Amino acid sequence: MTRYRIGVDVGGTFTDFLLMNEEGDAQVYKVLSTPADPSIAVIHGLSVMAEKRNADLGRFLGQVEIIVHGTTVTTNAVLTGNVAKTGLLTTRGFRDALQMRRGIREELYNNRYLPPRPIVPRYLRIPVEERIDFSGKEIRPLSVQDLEDGAAKFKENGVEAVAICFMHSYADGSHEEAAAERLRRLMPDAYLSVSSRVLPQVRFYNRVSTTVLNSAVGPILEKYIRSLTAKLEMHDFKGLLLIMQSNGGVTSPEVVTELASSTLLSGPAAAPVAGIAYTRLHGYGDFITVDMGGTSFDAALIKDSTPLVTTDGKVNRFALALPMMDVHTIGAGGGSIAWIDDSGLLRMGPKSAGARPGPVCYGLGGTEPTCSDANLLLGYLNADHFAGGKMTLDRPMAEKAILEKVAQPLGMPLPEAAYGMCHIMNINMASAIREISVQRGYDPREFLLVCAGGAGPIHAAMIASELEIPRILVPKESSIFCAAGMLLSDLKHDFGRTYHTIFSGKDMDVARFLSLIDDLQREGDRILALESIPVERRMFQYSLDLRYVRQYHEVNVPVTMEDLRTFNGESMKEAFHRQHDRLYGYSLREEGTEVELVNLRLTAIGVTDKPALKEEEYRGKNPNSCLKGTRPVFIPSQRDFGVVPVYDGDRMGFGHELQGPAIIEQTNTTIFVPPEYEVACDAYGSYLLRLV
Amino acid sequence: MNRNIDPILASVLQRRFKSITEEMGLTLLRTTRSPILNEARDFVTGLYDRKGRMLEQTEYIPILAFAIQPVCKHIIEYFGDDIHPGDVILHNDVFTGGNQNADVAVFKPIFHEDALVAWAACKGHQADIGGAVAGGYNPEAREVWQEALRITPVKIAEAGKLRKDVWDLIFANIRYDIVEEDIKAEMGGCVVGERGIKALLEKHGVEKFQSHVEYLFDATEKMVRNEIRNVPDGIYHGESTVFYDGIHLESRMKINLNVIVEGDEITFDFSGSSPQTEGFVNAPYTATASAVLLTFLMLINPDIPHNDGITRPIHIINPEGSFLNARFPAATTFGNSIAGPNSDAIFRAMAQALPEKVTAGWNRFLGFTITGTDPRKNRPYVDILFLALKGGSGGTWEADGYDHIGLINCAGGILAQDYEMFELHDPHFLEKHEYLVDSAGAGNWRGGLGVETEFVIHGNNVTGIAFGDGVDEEARAFGFSGGKKGALNGAELRYPDGVVRTVKSKEIIRDIPAGTVFRQTAGGGGGYGHPFERPIEKVVEDVRNELVSVEKAREDYGVIIDPVSLTVDFEETERRRGAKS
Repeated sequence: MTRYRIGVDVGGTFTDFLLMNEEGDAQVYKVLSTPADPSIAVIHGLSVMAEKRNADLGRFLGQVEIIVHGTTVTTNAVLTGNVAKTGLLTTRGFRDALQMRRGIREELYNNRYLPPRPIVPRYLRIPVEERIDFSGKEIRPLSVQDLEDGAAKFKENGVEAVAICFMHSYADGSHEEAAAERLRRLMPDAYLSVSSRVLPQVRFYNRVSTTVLNSAVGPILEKYIRSLTAKLEMHDFKGLLLIMQSNGGVTSPEVVTELASSTLLSGPAAAPVAGIAYTRLHGYGDFITVDMGGTSFDAALIKDSTPLVTTDGKVNRFALALPMMDVHTIGAGGGSIAWIDDSGLLRMGPKSAGARPGPVCYGLGGTEPTCSDANLLLGYLNADHFAGGKMTLDRPMAEKAILEKVAQPLGMPLPEAAYGMCHIMNINMASAIREISVQRGYDPREFLLVCAGGAGPIHAAMIASELEIPRILVPKESSIFCAAGMLLSDLKHDFGRTYHTIFSGKDMDVARFLSLIDDLQREGDRILALESIPVERRMFQYSLDLRYVRQYHEVNVPVTMEDLRTFNGESMKEAFHRQHDRLYGYSLREEGTEVELVNLRLTAIGVTDKPALKEEEYRGKNPNSCLKGTRPVFIPSQRDFGVVPVYDGDRMGFGHELQGPAIIEQTNTTIFVPPEYEVACDAYGSYLLRLV
Repeated sequence: MNRNIDPILASVLQRRFKSITEEMGLTLLRTTRSPILNEARDFVTGLYDRKGRMLEQTEYIPILAFAIQPVCKHIIEYFGDDIHPGDVILHNDVFTGGNQNADVAVFKPIFHEDALVAWAACKGHQADIGGAVAGGYNPEAREVWQEALRITPVKIAEAGKLRKDVWDLIFANIRYDIVEEDIKAEMGGCVVGERGIKALLEKHGVEKFQSHVEYLFDATEKMVRNEIRNVPDGIYHGESTVFYDGIHLESRMKINLNVIVEGDEITFDFSGSSPQTEGFVNAPYTATASAVLLTFLMLINPDIPHNDGITRPIHIINPEGSFLNARFPAATTFGNSIAGPNSDAIFRAMAQALPEKVTAGWNRFLGFTITGTDPRKNRPYVDILFLALKGGSGGTWEADGYDHIGLINCAGGILAQDYEMFELHDPHFLEKHEYLVDSAGAGNWRGGLGVETEFVIHGNNVTGIAFGDGVDEEARAFGFSGGKKGALNGAELRYPDGVVRTVKSKEIIRDIPAGTVFRQTAGGGGGYGHPFERPIEKVVEDVRNELVSVEKAREDYGVIIDPVSLTVDFEETERRRGAKS
C-alpha cells in the first residue's frame, strides 16, 4: 500500500496541497480557502485527493503518514483584532510599555496616523508590586494581594488569556513563576503565558509585547488545532500532524499551543527550507528565494544553506522578538494596481485587486489595471491557458483599462504603458531583494535567484537582470513552493538566556555561563523528548549575541559546542570579529575593543525523514516535442514585440535545453525566458536559467 | 511633454534615489556607536545634484529636512573647481549653512567620466563637538566658541587619501573617541550613496540622468504648487513665545509670523520677531528654515517626494539679527528646539486657512542630559533622557493627538529607551515610566498624553544639563477651536538629605549626589474642538483606563461618571453639556 505525506499551506485565497508518495512522486492540489474556519478547506482538499484515488476519505487518510500544516489563523486574528480577551500582570510603574511601543510614530508627517489599538487595554494591564534588578537580585517581594486583585478583575471582565511580564525576569524568573502558579489556581481555565518562558531575554518592551501576543493568539490556535485534529481523527487519521512555525521548523500540536506566537508570520517561513532542498541538488548554498503571489512578494536570503534569522519581527506594529526567518514582504503581486500620483509618475501597488474582484482580465468586475493585465497585453500570459485552461482572460477589457488609466494620462502608446507597469513592478521587487541582500552586507550577484509563486516566474529573469544576477532556478512546484518546504522541514525550537557581561573578561563567571548552556540543553531535550524524537536525531546549534562595548545592536554569532564546553573565548571572539566585519564592513579586532555578551541562544532540532525528490528519466536535449506554437511577446531589451516559441512545461523534463526568447507554460505558472537567457531542465523537473 | 522624457524612467529614478538614501541610513543605524544616532536616529541621508539641489533625502527626524541642501550649495561655491574624485568634505558650521553645531555632515562628490554629477551626504548629531561642555548642550554659552569646534568646509580626504593631519586636528578638539567612529560611519554611508548613483549613471548616461532629474524636480514642484493653490489666498498672522533665554528668568522671545499665500506661492515672513539673545536661545537661518519646512510638510500630502521641487514655491523672509536668524558669533544650540514654537506660530496662522489640517499645540519638550561615572564599571556615561522628555502631540480634525510622541522636531522618529537596557547602561534604578493622567488637553479630539518618569541616580560625579521649554504656565500646548491646553513639563531632584530642587528649563546642575531621585513629567498636547462634543463612550473609555480622572471628565468633558461603577449619569451629563450652548 502506498504511503503518503502531505504539505498544506493555507493562504488568503487558496489552500495549497503537495501530496508525495514514498517514491517522491509529487502532485499539486489547490482549493479555495475558507477563512471563517480554515480547517474546512483542509478537509475539503484531502477529500479531493481521496476522490482522485477512488477512496473514501477515511481509507485515504489511513495511508497518510504525516500532514505538515502551515496556518495563518493567528496572524489573521491579530490583523483583524479578533484575538482572545487578554489581561496583563506587570511590574508596578511600567504598565504602559506595551501601548507606548517606545513612542514611535511610523509616519513622521502624517498627523492623522493613529497608533494601533493596544492588544490589552490599560484597565486590564494590572500593576503588581514586586521588583528584581538587572542582576537578578530581589528588591521588593511579590505582592500576593495584587495578584488576587488582578485575577478578580480579569474574571469580572471575562478575560480568557493572561500574560505575565515583570522587569528583568530574564535574570531571575522566580517572581513570574510564583505569580503564574498563583494565577493558575485562581483562573484554571485561562491561557497563560509567562515572559521568562516565552522569551527569557533582555529588552522589556520586546518581551512584554511578545508575551502578550502569545496569550492573545493562544486560545485561537488551541481552538483551531482542536477542531482540525477532531476532524482528522473522525476520518481515521492516525499519522502525525505537524505545524509550521515562523522559525522555519515544524512542531507538534501540543508544543505549538504553548508557544502560539511562533506561528505568527509563519506564512512565508517554509520557502527558505524548500529552497535549500532544491538548490542543494545543484550544489548551491547561497541563494535568494522570492515568492510572488496575487498580493504579496516575499524575499529571503540563504547563505551557506543557512537562512538569515531575525528577532526584529512586527505584527500589526507590535514587536514579536522570537527568532524567525528573516523574510521581507512587500505589497507586490499579480493583483498590484497601477495608479498615477499627483506629480504624474506611474506607481504600482501596494494596493491589490486581490482574488476578488481581481485583475480586470479576470472579468470578475475589476476595473483597476493590474500587473497581470499588463502581463497579458505583453504576451507573458496566455488568455486561453490560464490556470491550466480553467479560466479565460479578457484581453479587450484589460487593454481598455490600461489605455484609459495609464497610457492616455501618461501620453504613451499602449504597449509601452503596459511594459512600464511591468517594469515598475520589477523595480519594486528588485529593491525588496536589495533590502535583504545589499542592506545585510551581501552582494546579490553572487547568489542564485530561486523564483516561486504563481506570478513569480514571469518576472524572474527581469528582476534578475535588474540586479545583475546571472543564474535563476524555477522549481517544478513553483506555485506551491511553501507547501513543498513544509514537507522538508525539521522540528525546530529556539531558546535563549540573557547574561550581560564583558565576554571572556575578568569579571565573567564562566561557571554561570556553562550552567546557562546546560539549562538551554535541558530545555531542548525536554521539548524534543515530548515530541518523541530519539536522542540520535537531536541536533543542537548554539549561538551568542555579542557586540562591541557601547554598541547598541548585537550580532548573532554561531559557535561550536567544543568552543563552548572548553570555553575558548578567543576563538568565539574571533568568530564575532569576522561576522561584524562581513555585516558592517569593519571590525575592531586590532583596536582590542572589549566584546560584550548579551544573550546565549540554542536552536534544538529534531531531524525528520524527508521525502526524496524523484529523479526523472533523461529525455534528451531537444524540447521540440513540447513546442505548442508561437505568439508575440514583448522583449524588454528590444523594447518591442517579437514572435516567440511557446513550450508546454507540463511535458518538459530532464535534459531539455532551450535558448530564449521563449515562454514555458505550466498549469499554475508561466516562465518568461528573455533572449539573453538559456534554460536547462534538471533531473527533478526544475528549470535552471543562465545568462548567456 | 518633452519628447525625450520617459515617464517610466523618471519613476524608476525616483524609486532608486529613495532606496539609495534608505540604504545609506541603514548603514548608519547599524554601524554608529552613539545612541543618539542608532537609537534616537538623529540623522539624515541624502543625494544632491551637481548644483547642490536635493535629489532625494531620508530624514529620520523631520528637523533635518532642510539641514543639508544649504550646506551643499555653500560647499560647491566655496571649493569652486577644486573638487575632485575621492574628496571627502566635513562641515558643521552654523554660519555657513549649518543648522546645529553638533550636527556634523560628510559630503562626497560623485563623478562620472571626469565630470561632477552629484553628491552623497550624511549628517548626524554627534555625541560631542568640543566646546565648553561635554555633549554639546551648553546653556551657559554666550558665543559659538563655547558651544563647539567650528568646522567650516574642510577636506578630510583628498583624491581618495585620508588627510591625517586635518583629521587629527579635528579629533584633538573632541572629547569622545566614538565621534571618530561615527564620522567614519557617515563616510561609509556616503560610499553607499556614491555606489548607487554611479550604477544609475552607467546604466542611463549623464544626459538622460540629468534631463530626468529636471523632470522630477518639475513634477514635484507642480505637485506642491497644486497643494498651495488649494489654500485660499490671504495674509495669515500667527504668534508664539519662547520662554527664558537661560540668563534672565523673566525673558520672553516673540515669534511674529505672517504667512502670505498668493496663488501657488507661499511666503513665511518672520519680520518683527525678537532680536537675538545674549545666550544660546538663538537659531541659525537653516534651523528656522527646517522648522518651516517640517511644519509645511505636515500641512500637505505626506507622499510628496523630498527633492528640490518641494522648496521652489516656498519663500522665507527672516531678517538677520533676530533670534530666528542670529548674527555671528551668537550661541545657537537651542535653535532646533525653537522648531516647536515656530510650528505653533505656523499652525496658529494657517488655522484660518486650513482648519482641518493644522493640529492643536504640541508639547514643548524639556530635555535633561545626565553625565557621570558608572560605579559598576568605573566608566563615564552620558544619557539624553529621551524616555522622559517625550510628551504628546496636538489633536487634529478627526484624530486624537499621538501619545508620548515627543517634540515636533522629531515627530515620533526618536525611540524612548527600553527600561531594562536603560538600567544596564546607566547606574539608574527606574521606579516609574507611565502615561501621565490628565496630561492631555481636553477636546473633541484630545491631545496626546504625556508621561511621568522617576528614577534613582546611583552614578558618581553626576551633572545634569537642562535644555528645553514648556515649564511656564503660558507655554502649555495650546488648544484649538474650543479645545483645552495640555499639561506642563516639569522636573525636580530630590536629594538624599530631603532637599527638593526644581529644575529650570535651561541650566547646568553640578554635583548631584548618588541616591538622588529624579522625577520628570512631560506634558500632553492641546485638544482640538470643544470637549463637550467628544463622544461620551470615548470619555468613559479614557476614564476606565485611568488616563482621564472622573473630576476631569466632569469639569472638562461635561460627562458625569460614577467613580466606582463607571456608569454615566446621562441626565446630569446632558444638563451640563447643554449649559454650554
